[in-house]
Amino acid sequence: MKYKDYYATLGVAPDADLDQIKKAYRKLARQNHPDMSKAPEAEAKFKEAAEAYATLKDPEKRAAYDELGRHPAGEEFSPPPQWQSEHSTQGGGFDDLDLADLLAALGRGHGGPFRSRAPMPGRDFETHVSISLENAHRGTSIDLQLQDGQGERTLQVTIPAGVTDGQKLRLRGKGGKGGKGSGGGPDAANGDIYLQIALAAHPVFRTDHHDLYFDLALTPWEAALGAEIEVATLDAPVLLTVPALTRSGRKLRLRGRGLTIASELGSRGDLYAVVHIDMPATLTSREKELYLELSRVSTFNPRASKP
Amino acid sequence: MMQQGPEWTWLDTRETITMAELSQVCGLSAAELVELVDYGALAPLGEPREADVFSATWVAPLRTAGKLRQDFDLELFSVAMLVGYLIRIETLERELKAARAQLPAFARYQ
Repeated sequence: MKYKDYYATLGVAPDADLDQIKKAYRKLARQNHPDMSKAPEAEAKFKEAAEAYATLKDPEKRAAYDELGRHPAGEEFSPPPQWQSEHSTQGGGFDDLDLADLLAALGRGHGGPFRSRAPMPGRDFETHVSISLENAHRGTSIDLQLQDGQGERTLQVTIPAGVTDGQKLRLRGKGGKGGKGSGGGPDAANGDIYLQIALAAHPVFRTDHHDLYFDLALTPWEAALGAEIEVATLDAPVLLTVPALTRSGRKLRLRGRGLTIASELGSRGDLYAVVHIDMPATLTSREKELYLELSRVSTFNPRASKP
Repeated sequence: MMQQGPEWTWLDTRETITMAELSQVCGLSAAELVELVDYGALAPLGEPREADVFSATWVAPLRTAGKLRQDFDLELFSVAMLVGYLIRIETLERELKAARAQLPAFARYQ
Protein backbone atom coordinates (compact mmCIF):
# COMPACT_ATOMS: atom_id res chain seq x y z
CA MET A 1 0.00 0.00 0.00
CA LYS A 2 1.34 3.42 -0.92
CA TYR A 3 1.56 6.14 1.68
CA LYS A 4 -0.15 9.45 0.96
CA ASP A 5 0.90 12.61 2.76
CA TYR A 6 -2.45 14.23 3.43
CA TYR A 7 -0.92 17.15 5.32
CA ALA A 8 1.33 17.98 2.38
CA THR A 9 -1.61 17.63 -0.02
CA LEU A 10 -3.50 20.33 1.89
CA GLY A 11 -0.35 22.33 2.59
CA VAL A 12 -0.82 22.35 6.36
CA ALA A 13 1.41 21.39 9.27
CA PRO A 14 0.78 18.02 10.99
CA ASP A 15 -0.35 19.90 14.09
CA ALA A 16 -2.79 22.12 12.18
CA ASP A 17 -6.14 22.61 13.88
CA LEU A 18 -9.47 21.87 12.22
CA ASP A 19 -10.08 25.46 11.18
CA GLN A 20 -6.72 25.62 9.40
CA ILE A 21 -7.42 22.31 7.69
CA LYS A 22 -10.87 23.41 6.59
CA LYS A 23 -9.60 26.73 5.27
CA ALA A 24 -6.75 25.06 3.34
CA TYR A 25 -9.15 22.52 1.86
CA ARG A 26 -11.73 25.09 0.79
CA LYS A 27 -9.03 27.16 -0.89
CA LEU A 28 -7.82 24.17 -2.89
CA ALA A 29 -11.39 23.05 -3.63
CA ARG A 30 -12.25 26.52 -4.91
CA GLN A 31 -9.18 26.51 -7.18
CA ASN A 32 -9.60 23.01 -8.57
CA HIS A 33 -13.30 22.16 -8.47
CA PRO A 34 -14.42 20.83 -11.87
CA ASP A 35 -17.13 23.54 -12.01
CA MET A 36 -14.55 26.28 -11.50
CA SER A 37 -11.44 25.12 -13.33
CA LYS A 38 -11.00 23.48 -16.70
CA ALA A 39 -7.24 22.93 -16.21
CA PRO A 40 -6.40 19.34 -17.19
CA GLU A 41 -5.01 18.38 -13.78
CA ALA A 42 -7.64 20.27 -11.74
CA GLU A 43 -10.03 17.37 -11.19
CA ALA A 44 -7.25 15.06 -9.99
CA LYS A 45 -6.00 17.76 -7.60
CA PHE A 46 -9.54 18.32 -6.34
CA LYS A 47 -9.97 14.60 -5.66
CA GLU A 48 -6.63 14.41 -3.85
CA ALA A 49 -7.59 17.36 -1.65
CA ALA A 50 -11.06 15.91 -0.96
CA GLU A 51 -9.52 12.57 0.01
CA ALA A 52 -7.07 14.26 2.37
CA TYR A 53 -9.78 16.42 3.90
CA ALA A 54 -12.17 13.48 4.39
CA THR A 55 -9.56 11.93 6.68
CA LEU A 56 -8.11 14.97 8.42
CA LYS A 57 -11.47 16.58 9.34
CA ASP A 58 -12.58 13.45 11.18
CA PRO A 59 -10.81 13.06 14.56
CA GLU A 60 -11.05 9.26 14.54
CA LYS A 61 -9.74 8.89 11.01
CA ARG A 62 -7.06 11.51 11.59
CA ALA A 63 -5.85 9.66 14.70
CA ALA A 64 -5.73 6.40 12.75
CA TYR A 65 -3.85 8.11 9.93
CA ASP A 66 -1.38 9.73 12.34
CA GLU A 67 -0.81 6.30 13.85
CA LEU A 68 0.81 5.29 10.56
CA GLY A 69 3.63 7.76 11.20
CA ARG A 70 5.15 9.96 8.51
CA HIS A 71 6.58 8.47 5.34
CA PRO A 72 7.61 9.98 2.04
CA ALA A 73 4.59 10.23 -0.27
CA GLY A 74 4.32 7.18 -2.50
CA GLU A 75 6.43 4.98 -0.23
CA GLU A 76 5.20 1.42 0.24
CA PHE A 77 4.13 0.70 3.80
CA SER A 78 2.11 -1.85 5.77
CA PRO A 79 -0.80 -0.84 8.00
CA PRO A 80 -0.49 -1.78 11.67
CA PRO A 81 -1.13 -5.44 12.50
CA GLN A 82 -4.36 -4.66 14.42
CA TRP A 83 -5.84 -3.09 11.26
CA GLN A 84 -5.02 -6.28 9.42
CA SER A 85 -6.75 -8.49 11.99
CA GLU A 86 -9.82 -6.26 12.19
CA HIS A 87 -10.13 -5.87 8.46
CA SER A 88 -9.70 -9.59 7.87
CA THR A 89 -12.98 -10.22 9.71
CA GLN A 90 -14.52 -8.92 6.50
CA GLY A 91 -12.84 -11.76 4.68
CA GLY A 92 -10.59 -9.50 2.66
CA GLY A 93 -6.98 -8.43 2.71
CA PHE A 94 -5.33 -5.10 2.04
CA ASP A 95 -4.20 -5.99 -1.44
CA ASP A 96 -7.25 -4.60 -3.20
CA LEU A 97 -7.58 -1.47 -1.09
CA ASP A 98 -5.76 1.80 -1.01
CA LEU A 99 -5.30 4.07 1.96
CA ALA A 100 -8.42 6.10 1.18
CA ASP A 101 -10.66 2.98 1.09
CA LEU A 102 -9.22 1.80 4.36
CA LEU A 103 -9.72 5.11 6.14
CA ALA A 104 -13.18 5.59 4.62
CA ALA A 105 -14.16 2.23 6.12
CA LEU A 106 -13.46 3.70 9.55
CA GLY A 107 -16.42 6.01 9.14
CA ARG A 108 -18.78 3.15 8.36
CA GLY A 109 -17.74 0.79 11.14
CA HIS A 110 -19.79 -0.08 14.19
CA GLY A 111 -17.89 -1.24 17.21
CA GLY A 112 -14.61 -1.33 15.38
CA PRO A 113 -12.96 0.18 12.37
CA PHE A 114 -13.80 -2.54 9.89
CA ARG A 115 -16.54 -4.62 11.44
CA SER A 116 -20.12 -4.91 10.21
CA ARG A 117 -19.75 -2.15 7.74
CA ALA A 118 -22.91 -1.35 5.81
CA PRO A 119 -22.75 -2.19 2.11
CA MET A 120 -22.08 0.81 -0.07
CA PRO A 121 -24.94 1.95 -2.33
CA GLY A 122 -24.22 1.85 -6.04
CA ARG A 123 -22.77 4.90 -7.70
CA ASP A 124 -25.02 7.34 -9.52
CA PHE A 125 -24.06 8.49 -12.99
CA GLU A 126 -24.81 11.98 -14.24
CA THR A 127 -24.46 12.52 -17.93
CA HIS A 128 -25.48 14.91 -20.70
CA VAL A 129 -26.53 13.82 -24.16
CA SER A 130 -27.12 15.91 -27.22
CA ILE A 131 -29.78 14.66 -29.63
CA SER A 132 -31.25 16.06 -32.78
CA LEU A 133 -34.55 17.85 -32.77
CA GLU A 134 -36.05 15.14 -34.98
CA ASN A 135 -35.00 12.46 -32.49
CA ALA A 136 -36.45 14.43 -29.59
CA HIS A 137 -39.70 14.62 -31.53
CA ARG A 138 -39.90 10.96 -32.45
CA GLY A 139 -37.90 9.32 -29.66
CA THR A 140 -34.61 7.55 -30.16
CA SER A 141 -32.22 5.04 -28.74
CA ILE A 142 -28.75 5.96 -27.50
CA ASP A 143 -25.76 4.17 -26.04
CA LEU A 144 -24.47 5.45 -22.71
CA GLN A 145 -20.86 4.65 -21.85
CA LEU A 146 -20.60 4.05 -18.11
CA GLN A 147 -17.35 3.59 -16.23
CA ASP A 148 -17.48 2.10 -12.76
CA GLY A 149 -15.81 -0.43 -10.53
CA GLN A 150 -16.81 -3.22 -12.89
CA GLY A 151 -15.08 -1.46 -15.78
CA GLU A 152 -16.61 0.22 -18.78
CA ARG A 153 -20.01 -0.91 -19.99
CA THR A 154 -22.47 0.26 -22.57
CA LEU A 155 -26.11 0.70 -21.71
CA GLN A 156 -28.59 1.19 -24.51
CA VAL A 157 -31.51 3.34 -23.45
CA THR A 158 -34.58 4.63 -25.19
CA ILE A 159 -35.13 8.36 -25.06
CA PRO A 160 -38.88 8.83 -25.06
CA ALA A 161 -40.54 11.07 -27.63
CA GLY A 162 -41.29 14.52 -26.30
CA VAL A 163 -38.14 15.47 -24.42
CA THR A 164 -37.29 19.16 -24.56
CA ASP A 165 -34.03 21.07 -24.35
CA GLY A 166 -32.69 20.80 -20.78
CA GLN A 167 -35.05 17.93 -19.87
CA LYS A 168 -33.81 15.91 -16.92
CA LEU A 169 -34.57 12.23 -16.60
CA ARG A 170 -33.77 9.62 -13.99
CA LEU A 171 -33.30 5.94 -14.68
CA ARG A 172 -33.61 4.08 -11.41
CA GLY A 173 -31.31 1.25 -10.50
CA LYS A 174 -29.30 1.29 -13.73
CA GLY A 175 -26.21 2.95 -12.25
CA GLY A 176 -23.42 1.24 -10.34
CA LYS A 177 -24.16 -2.02 -8.52
CA GLY A 178 -24.88 -1.75 -4.81
CA GLY A 179 -22.52 -3.49 -2.40
CA LYS A 180 -23.25 -7.02 -1.20
CA GLY A 181 -24.78 -7.25 2.25
CA SER A 182 -22.70 -9.07 4.82
CA GLY A 183 -23.93 -11.69 7.30
CA GLY A 184 -27.17 -12.29 5.41
CA GLY A 185 -28.00 -8.58 5.34
CA PRO A 186 -29.64 -7.02 2.31
CA ASP A 187 -27.58 -5.72 -0.59
CA ALA A 188 -27.36 -1.98 -0.99
CA ALA A 189 -29.47 -0.36 -3.71
CA ASN A 190 -28.02 0.07 -7.17
CA GLY A 191 -27.23 3.59 -8.24
CA ASP A 192 -29.30 5.61 -10.71
CA ILE A 193 -28.59 7.34 -13.99
CA TYR A 194 -29.38 11.03 -14.29
CA LEU A 195 -29.57 12.22 -17.84
CA GLN A 196 -29.83 15.78 -19.07
CA ILE A 197 -30.94 16.25 -22.65
CA ALA A 198 -29.63 19.00 -24.88
CA LEU A 199 -31.11 19.55 -28.32
CA ALA A 200 -28.46 20.06 -30.97
CA ALA A 201 -28.72 23.30 -32.95
CA HIS A 202 -30.96 22.80 -35.98
CA PRO A 203 -30.24 24.55 -39.28
CA VAL A 204 -33.83 25.82 -39.55
CA PHE A 205 -35.75 25.52 -36.29
CA ARG A 206 -35.20 26.97 -32.84
CA THR A 207 -37.04 25.60 -29.82
CA ASP A 208 -38.87 27.02 -26.85
CA HIS A 209 -40.20 24.05 -24.89
CA HIS A 210 -42.41 22.25 -27.43
CA ASP A 211 -42.79 25.18 -29.78
CA LEU A 212 -40.58 25.67 -32.82
CA TYR A 213 -39.55 28.96 -34.44
CA PHE A 214 -37.99 29.69 -37.81
CA ASP A 215 -37.26 32.83 -39.78
CA LEU A 216 -39.49 33.63 -42.72
CA ALA A 217 -38.04 36.21 -45.07
CA LEU A 218 -40.62 38.09 -47.12
CA THR A 219 -40.31 40.52 -49.97
CA PRO A 220 -41.87 43.93 -49.29
CA TRP A 221 -44.72 43.15 -51.74
CA GLU A 222 -45.39 39.72 -50.16
CA ALA A 223 -45.68 41.44 -46.79
CA ALA A 224 -47.92 44.12 -48.27
CA LEU A 225 -50.17 42.00 -50.45
CA GLY A 226 -50.08 38.67 -48.62
CA ALA A 227 -48.86 35.37 -50.05
CA GLU A 228 -49.01 31.62 -49.80
CA ILE A 229 -45.56 30.26 -49.13
CA GLU A 230 -44.40 26.67 -48.84
CA VAL A 231 -42.49 26.18 -45.59
CA ALA A 232 -40.64 23.21 -44.13
CA THR A 233 -41.99 21.48 -41.00
CA LEU A 234 -40.78 18.44 -39.08
CA ASP A 235 -43.16 16.46 -41.26
CA ALA A 236 -43.97 17.35 -44.87
CA PRO A 237 -43.79 20.93 -46.20
CA VAL A 238 -47.03 22.90 -45.83
CA LEU A 239 -48.51 26.05 -47.34
CA LEU A 240 -48.43 29.00 -44.97
CA THR A 241 -50.82 31.85 -45.60
CA VAL A 242 -49.17 35.21 -45.05
CA PRO A 243 -51.91 37.78 -44.49
CA ALA A 244 -51.76 41.09 -46.31
CA LEU A 245 -50.06 43.93 -44.39
CA THR A 246 -47.85 41.59 -42.36
CA ARG A 247 -45.33 43.52 -40.32
CA SER A 248 -41.71 42.53 -39.67
CA GLY A 249 -41.36 40.60 -36.40
CA ARG A 250 -44.89 39.17 -36.59
CA LYS A 251 -45.18 35.50 -35.64
CA LEU A 252 -47.39 33.38 -37.85
CA ARG A 253 -48.55 30.22 -36.12
CA LEU A 254 -48.95 26.74 -37.57
CA ARG A 255 -50.88 25.00 -34.84
CA GLY A 256 -49.77 21.50 -33.83
CA ARG A 257 -46.63 21.46 -36.02
CA GLY A 258 -44.17 21.68 -33.12
CA LEU A 259 -42.61 18.96 -30.98
CA THR A 260 -44.41 16.02 -29.41
CA ILE A 261 -45.70 16.71 -25.90
CA ALA A 262 -44.98 13.55 -23.96
CA SER A 263 -47.43 14.25 -21.16
CA GLU A 264 -50.38 14.74 -23.51
CA LEU A 265 -50.96 11.84 -25.84
CA GLY A 266 -51.02 12.93 -29.48
CA SER A 267 -50.47 16.53 -28.56
CA ARG A 268 -47.84 18.76 -30.13
CA GLY A 269 -46.48 22.23 -29.72
CA ASP A 270 -46.87 24.89 -32.40
CA LEU A 271 -44.61 26.07 -35.21
CA TYR A 272 -44.06 29.80 -35.59
CA ALA A 273 -42.73 31.64 -38.61
CA VAL A 274 -40.97 34.81 -37.44
CA VAL A 275 -41.37 37.30 -40.26
CA HIS A 276 -38.73 39.67 -41.45
CA ILE A 277 -38.99 41.76 -44.56
CA ASP A 278 -35.90 41.59 -46.71
CA MET A 279 -34.53 43.83 -49.43
CA PRO A 280 -32.55 42.97 -52.53
CA ALA A 281 -28.88 43.96 -52.53
CA THR A 282 -29.44 46.11 -55.64
CA LEU A 283 -32.44 47.43 -57.54
CA THR A 284 -32.94 47.34 -61.27
CA SER A 285 -33.87 50.64 -62.87
CA ARG A 286 -37.45 49.42 -63.29
CA GLU A 287 -37.71 48.39 -59.64
CA LYS A 288 -36.35 51.75 -58.59
CA GLU A 289 -38.88 53.46 -60.81
CA LEU A 290 -41.74 51.51 -59.18
CA TYR A 291 -40.50 52.31 -55.67
CA LEU A 292 -40.28 55.99 -56.61
CA GLU A 293 -43.81 55.83 -57.88
CA LEU A 294 -44.90 54.18 -54.63
CA SER A 295 -43.15 56.81 -52.56
CA ARG A 296 -45.00 59.50 -54.44
CA VAL A 297 -48.46 58.00 -53.99
CA SER A 298 -48.19 56.50 -50.49
CA THR A 299 -49.11 58.48 -47.39
CA PHE A 300 -47.71 55.86 -45.04
CA ASN A 301 -45.30 57.18 -42.41
CA PRO A 302 -44.02 54.52 -40.01
CA ARG A 303 -42.50 57.22 -37.75
CA ALA A 304 -45.74 59.09 -37.28
CA SER A 305 -47.14 58.79 -33.77
CA LYS A 306 -49.76 56.08 -33.59
CA PRO A 307 -53.17 56.69 -32.05
CA MET B 1 -42.55 6.88 -33.17
CA MET B 2 -40.90 5.13 -30.27
CA GLN B 3 -42.83 4.32 -27.17
CA GLN B 4 -42.01 6.22 -24.02
CA GLY B 5 -39.53 4.24 -21.95
CA PRO B 6 -41.56 3.19 -18.91
CA GLU B 7 -38.49 3.12 -16.72
CA TRP B 8 -37.74 6.84 -16.93
CA THR B 9 -38.73 9.25 -14.25
CA TRP B 10 -39.25 12.74 -15.67
CA LEU B 11 -37.70 15.17 -13.25
CA ASP B 12 -40.29 17.87 -13.82
CA THR B 13 -43.71 18.90 -12.60
CA ARG B 14 -45.44 15.77 -13.85
CA GLU B 15 -43.75 13.55 -11.23
CA THR B 16 -43.64 13.67 -7.46
CA ILE B 17 -41.16 12.30 -4.98
CA THR B 18 -41.47 11.44 -1.30
CA MET B 19 -39.28 12.98 1.33
CA ALA B 20 -37.60 9.62 2.01
CA GLU B 21 -36.61 9.22 -1.63
CA LEU B 22 -35.63 12.85 -2.04
CA SER B 23 -33.36 12.43 0.97
CA GLN B 24 -31.76 9.37 -0.58
CA VAL B 25 -31.15 10.87 -4.03
CA CYS B 26 -29.86 14.24 -2.76
CA GLY B 27 -27.64 13.02 0.05
CA LEU B 28 -29.47 15.20 2.58
CA SER B 29 -31.18 13.73 5.64
CA ALA B 30 -34.93 14.09 6.18
CA ALA B 31 -34.19 16.42 9.11
CA GLU B 32 -32.05 18.58 6.81
CA LEU B 33 -34.82 18.67 4.20
CA VAL B 34 -37.27 19.80 6.90
CA GLU B 35 -34.80 22.54 7.83
CA LEU B 36 -34.62 23.62 4.19
CA VAL B 37 -38.43 23.80 4.19
CA ASP B 38 -38.22 25.94 7.33
CA TYR B 39 -35.78 28.28 5.57
CA GLY B 40 -38.20 28.56 2.65
CA ALA B 41 -35.68 27.00 0.28
CA LEU B 42 -37.80 23.92 -0.39
CA ALA B 43 -41.57 23.58 -0.56
CA PRO B 44 -43.69 20.44 -0.32
CA LEU B 45 -46.66 20.13 -2.64
CA GLY B 46 -49.20 20.68 0.09
CA GLU B 47 -49.81 20.49 3.76
CA PRO B 48 -50.57 18.86 6.03
CA ARG B 49 -51.71 15.86 3.97
CA GLU B 50 -48.80 15.99 1.50
CA ALA B 51 -46.22 17.68 3.67
CA ASP B 52 -43.69 15.04 2.73
CA VAL B 53 -44.38 14.92 -1.03
CA PHE B 54 -42.44 17.16 -3.38
CA SER B 55 -42.39 17.94 -7.07
CA ALA B 56 -39.63 16.04 -8.88
CA THR B 57 -38.34 19.42 -10.11
CA TRP B 58 -36.51 19.69 -6.78
CA VAL B 59 -34.29 16.70 -7.49
CA ALA B 60 -31.79 18.36 -9.83
CA PRO B 61 -31.10 21.57 -7.84
CA LEU B 62 -31.00 19.68 -4.55
CA ARG B 63 -28.59 17.10 -5.93
CA THR B 64 -26.34 19.86 -7.25
CA ALA B 65 -26.51 21.81 -3.99
CA GLY B 66 -25.95 18.62 -1.99
CA LYS B 67 -22.88 17.80 -4.05
CA LEU B 68 -21.47 21.32 -3.67
CA ARG B 69 -22.10 21.06 0.06
CA GLN B 70 -20.04 17.89 0.17
CA ASP B 71 -17.33 19.25 -2.13
CA PHE B 72 -16.87 22.48 -0.15
CA ASP B 73 -18.00 21.29 3.29
CA LEU B 74 -20.74 23.93 3.39
CA GLU B 75 -23.24 24.57 6.17
CA LEU B 76 -26.88 23.72 5.53
CA PHE B 77 -27.89 27.37 5.36
CA SER B 78 -25.47 27.82 2.45
CA VAL B 79 -27.26 24.92 0.75
CA ALA B 80 -30.55 26.77 1.23
CA MET B 81 -29.08 29.85 -0.47
CA LEU B 82 -27.55 27.74 -3.25
CA VAL B 83 -30.82 26.01 -4.08
CA GLY B 84 -32.51 29.38 -4.58
CA TYR B 85 -29.75 30.66 -6.82
CA LEU B 86 -29.53 27.42 -8.84
CA ILE B 87 -33.26 27.56 -9.57
CA ARG B 88 -33.00 31.23 -10.46
CA ILE B 89 -30.10 30.60 -12.86
CA GLU B 90 -31.97 27.78 -14.57
CA THR B 91 -35.12 29.88 -14.89
CA LEU B 92 -33.17 32.79 -16.40
CA GLU B 93 -31.30 30.48 -18.79
CA ARG B 94 -34.60 29.02 -19.95
CA GLU B 95 -36.11 32.47 -20.45
CA LEU B 96 -33.03 33.61 -22.35
CA LYS B 97 -33.22 30.58 -24.66
CA ALA B 98 -36.93 31.20 -25.24
CA ALA B 99 -36.29 34.86 -26.05
CA ARG B 100 -33.50 33.92 -28.47
CA ALA B 101 -35.71 31.34 -30.17
CA GLN B 102 -38.36 33.97 -30.81
CA LEU B 103 -36.02 36.63 -32.20
CA PRO B 104 -35.26 36.51 -35.92
CA ALA B 105 -31.69 35.39 -36.66
CA PHE B 106 -30.46 38.79 -37.81
CA ALA B 107 -31.56 40.38 -34.52
CA ARG B 108 -29.82 37.86 -32.25
CA TYR B 109 -26.43 38.51 -30.79
CA GLN B 110 -24.21 35.49 -30.56
